Amino acid sequence: MRDKLTSKNIIFGLLIGFFPIFMYAVDYITLLLSYRDIYLPTPSGDYILYIAVQVGLYTLLAIGLNIVCGFTGLLDLGYVGFYLVGGYTAGLLMVRLGFSYWMVLPLAVLNGALWGLLRGAPTLRLTGDYFAIVTFGFAELLFRIVKNEIWLIGDINGFVKNIPRASIFGIELNQNWHHYYHILVLLALVIFVTYRLQHSRVGRAWVAIREDEQAAASMGINISRYKSLAFAVSAAIGALGGAFLAPFWSSISARSFEFWESILILCMVILGGKGSIKGAVVGAIIIGSLSEVLREILSNFPQFGGARYLIFGIILVLLMRYRPEGLIFKRA
Amino acid sequence: MRNWLIGLLVVGLVSLWGCQPASKDKQEPQREVRVAVAGPFTGNAAAFGEMIKRGAERKAKEINESGGINGMKLTLVFGDDTGTEKEANLVATRFATDRRILSVVGHFNSACSLAGKEIYKANGIVALSPGSTNVSVCEGSDWTFRNLYRDDFQGEFIANYIQNSLKEFQAVAILFDNDDYGRGLRDGFSAAAEKIGLNIVASEAYDRDNTDFKAQLTSIKAKNPDLIFISGLYSQAGLIAKQARESGITAQFFGADGVDSPDFLTIAGAAAEGTYLTTPFTFDLGGEEAQRVASEFEKDYGVLPDTWAALTYDAMGMIADAIGKTYNADATLAENRKAIRDHLASLDTPEEGYKGITGLTYFDINGDTVNKPAYVKIVKDGEFTTAPVQMVN
Amino acid sequence: MEQFSEQLINALVLGGIYALIAVGYTMVYGIIQLINFAHGEIFMFGAYFAFTLVTVFNMPFWVALPLSMLLCAMIGMLMDLVAYRPLRNAARLSALITAIGVSIGLQNLARIIWGARQRPFPQESLPAFLRQGFPPTESLPAFTLTETAIALPGGAYLPYRDLFIILLALGLMIALNRLVTLTRIGKAMRACAQNRVAANLMGINTNKVIVITFAIGSALGAVAGIMVGIREIIEPTMGYYKGVAAFAAAVLGGIGNITGAMLGGLLIGFAEVFGAGYIPYGYGSGYRVAIAYIVMIAVILVRPSGLFGKSTATRA
Repeated sequence: MRDKLTSKNIIFGLLIGFFPIFMYAVDYITLLLSYRDIYLPTPSGDYILYIAVQVGLYTLLAIGLNIVCGFTGLLDLGYVGFYLVGGYTAGLLMVRLGFSYWMVLPLAVLNGALWGLLRGAPTLRLTGDYFAIVTFGFAELLFRIVKNEIWLIGDINGFVKNIPRASIFGIELNQNWHHYYHILVLLALVIFVTYRLQHSRVGRAWVAIREDEQAAASMGINISRYKSLAFAVSAAIGALGGAFLAPFWSSISARSFEFWESILILCMVILGGKGSIKGAVVGAIIIGSLSEVLREILSNFPQFGGARYLIFGIILVLLMRYRPEGLIFKRA
Repeated sequence: MRNWLIGLLVVGLVSLWGCQPASKDKQEPQREVRVAVAGPFTGNAAAFGEMIKRGAERKAKEINESGGINGMKLTLVFGDDTGTEKEANLVATRFATDRRILSVVGHFNSACSLAGKEIYKANGIVALSPGSTNVSVCEGSDWTFRNLYRDDFQGEFIANYIQNSLKEFQAVAILFDNDDYGRGLRDGFSAAAEKIGLNIVASEAYDRDNTDFKAQLTSIKAKNPDLIFISGLYSQAGLIAKQARESGITAQFFGADGVDSPDFLTIAGAAAEGTYLTTPFTFDLGGEEAQRVASEFEKDYGVLPDTWAALTYDAMGMIADAIGKTYNADATLAENRKAIRDHLASLDTPEEGYKGITGLTYFDINGDTVNKPAYVKIVKDGEFTTAPVQMVN
Repeated sequence: MEQFSEQLINALVLGGIYALIAVGYTMVYGIIQLINFAHGEIFMFGAYFAFTLVTVFNMPFWVALPLSMLLCAMIGMLMDLVAYRPLRNAARLSALITAIGVSIGLQNLARIIWGARQRPFPQESLPAFLRQGFPPTESLPAFTLTETAIALPGGAYLPYRDLFIILLALGLMIALNRLVTLTRIGKAMRACAQNRVAANLMGINTNKVIVITFAIGSALGAVAGIMVGIREIIEPTMGYYKGVAAFAAAVLGGIGNITGAMLGGLLIGFAEVFGAGYIPYGYGSGYRVAIAYIVMIAVILVRPSGLFGKSTATRA
């Protein structure tokens, strides 16, 4: 983080900052290159921008999950539960009570943190796979609740429809580049907070707990307090992601929060290298765009259309085979 | 820095390679129009997706064999939404921002149609769904249409049919799919049943990811229903029918259009016998044109088309028809897409409606199809046949 | 009374199926502490192999059954050699991601090979007692044998097939327990489970032991898959849905413990069936799977290492 202002970093920063402009330039150029109503067979820049927003969202979630999985070393299989809490807090407050997005955002984050503590309290003394399966069960319960409790959600199957877009200075954020900068700001905020936490007393306590819980306790670290803090921060970030999702998609249902999403986010964390923020970013970019890249490539070979997730699985196995510690990791 | 330069070089080369076919087009423009088809081609609704794909392909083949749309070739682009909102959002963005695509046929799952609605609306492209029956799919967007009825109509229809034509069945139990389709249909059914005084003795849910329904069936059995309304999709309905008969339940089964797939018969086997079901379309009553399409379809794929293939066939026909009537090569993409929408929206009376194999389709102000009848089928000797009593108004 | 005895049977059968799958998870976990996510996919492949051998190659069922067990054992061994062995000394979570990758890959491979549609197992190819049958409508006296089921007191019918599943689960569990406690290879397995490095130093070829464990677990998975295929349906996602519940069962029983897996499976089966059958107002059926998870969470919160798990030091 505290890297110098090298030319590489400047190029990288400019690329991220001006990404939408590049993408719309691509759109404009392809439009110029096309002949009457015959257009170039390339995906549009707008679509790539949409994927970038989704990758940004996954990056946010991966950083959040990384706090529990990477910093404290516990396997969380139910992270999607907090994503769900954030999504429904935002969606329901906006649709049913007419709150504005900017009011809902902190409420969703707080609610997420609350749920993180709620789930954290009974699971403090669980270890390893017992913790994993309880987190899984917790997310599954939330999933069933939004599916079944119609009085709460207001519609069947957890549908919250027609969620209004966020708006700023009276401008409705409905373009993909709006979403892009929106998620970028949230991401910067989250990275900043996580980074400060990681390099503070708290972060060092987390690492101590991960490495040896008993040793940490005997050094005077209050295990439950620091673990609970990790759960709360992690859950709050997940809920932030959900709160962003609701107006971004404008309609959510229970199905958007299936177990598979937890797995996907977990893959990003491990693949990137757990315990490192940079790793979570790299993992999210790779996994988040992989299935779309495969979709584009395979659309040229219709006979292999169904092979998208087969190749996805093989790539996961190969990446872990050759980089078992993740793509980015610190040698201890 | 060197890596960056190499990367740029590679990107440049790839895009040059990508441009090549386009520059060839410039010399001899081989005209084509592209229509996208979005559906669950993988995932757990893939059996529906398969039929949707075939129905669309069949219609496109017919159009191209008879000279295309105004001499232009109709090319289909398929997008797999896997039946989930996340993928549906991506597919919708992919299609809506693709400058070669004039219109979209899809999505199938209601959740996917709802997810894509805002994206299609923002980009100004028509989405004509051949399968989404949730009540609010078309509300609030000028760009979303569907060519079949809604869940509430179907639920009410089934309740009335049981009341009027199956008088010997007094006690009704409902077993519904705990998802938007099954639940929406059940709500429509129960509301109508309450109004007309049908006696509902049990209402149990099941999850789509289950394959064992014995627990629910046993508790339904204890209530002794004469008829079980299975509000769900064919794959679970087939298993339910099978397991119900195995648990000694002798009640009559009644299903809705989600059950209308040949796979229901293969899954349920002998237990399917005598099942009633409603459908937006039946080939028996579809007239000569439908028979011709069915036999050609069977020639191509080795199986008979089902309802969804037929509805997609018609949806594709409607879009092709609209393109043929409105397409202007000198207009911009947005104008052409808008013209298609305006044409579809103008089909608002029976006289102007589109006559396809599934009957006459015309839209109300939302883009919902109005007055499309529901038919009742019955399984007889292991095959779907049209039930003797119909209730077409 | 009739309803109760029927639900009891439903629960026993479902629990037996979960137990059969859970044993595969628990065996592999016991030895290399890996949640083998791909075990559900092996289970699914077992069903598809038997289906293909019976329908395409016209084999009799009793030939197809061991053959598909053999094929699945081979897949399990291959999986270990190709995917897991290179990661033996890497972090546990890396191996978990590999397992997830293998699972996604195999599930989609099955979809490509056999298609996404569901396939019923051809009943006519089965031996008579495993076939599906419809019981007579009039109630028979208790313990009368019909063609496919046995009448129970209280008016319920227990199909022979379901009885076979329960007995099979029980028999295999006893056999496995014997294998682990009495045989040489079992001893080697237990040694590996306790300390792989030490076992290796004592001259045990740990890689061989692990491969054998994968083979046995996968063969059992194949049996479970075929039984579910016969009783319910064969589809590419069957491994995932049943696998998750079975995994919960394995953890609930104390992961790594074979008897625990069996009891965990039964407990999950009972929670699901009795929850769905007796909790009124549609809550039971709407929350059917959730009820099983609530029971699981409750058990783990009370006993943090499962029903039969050893309470190890509090290290992850």
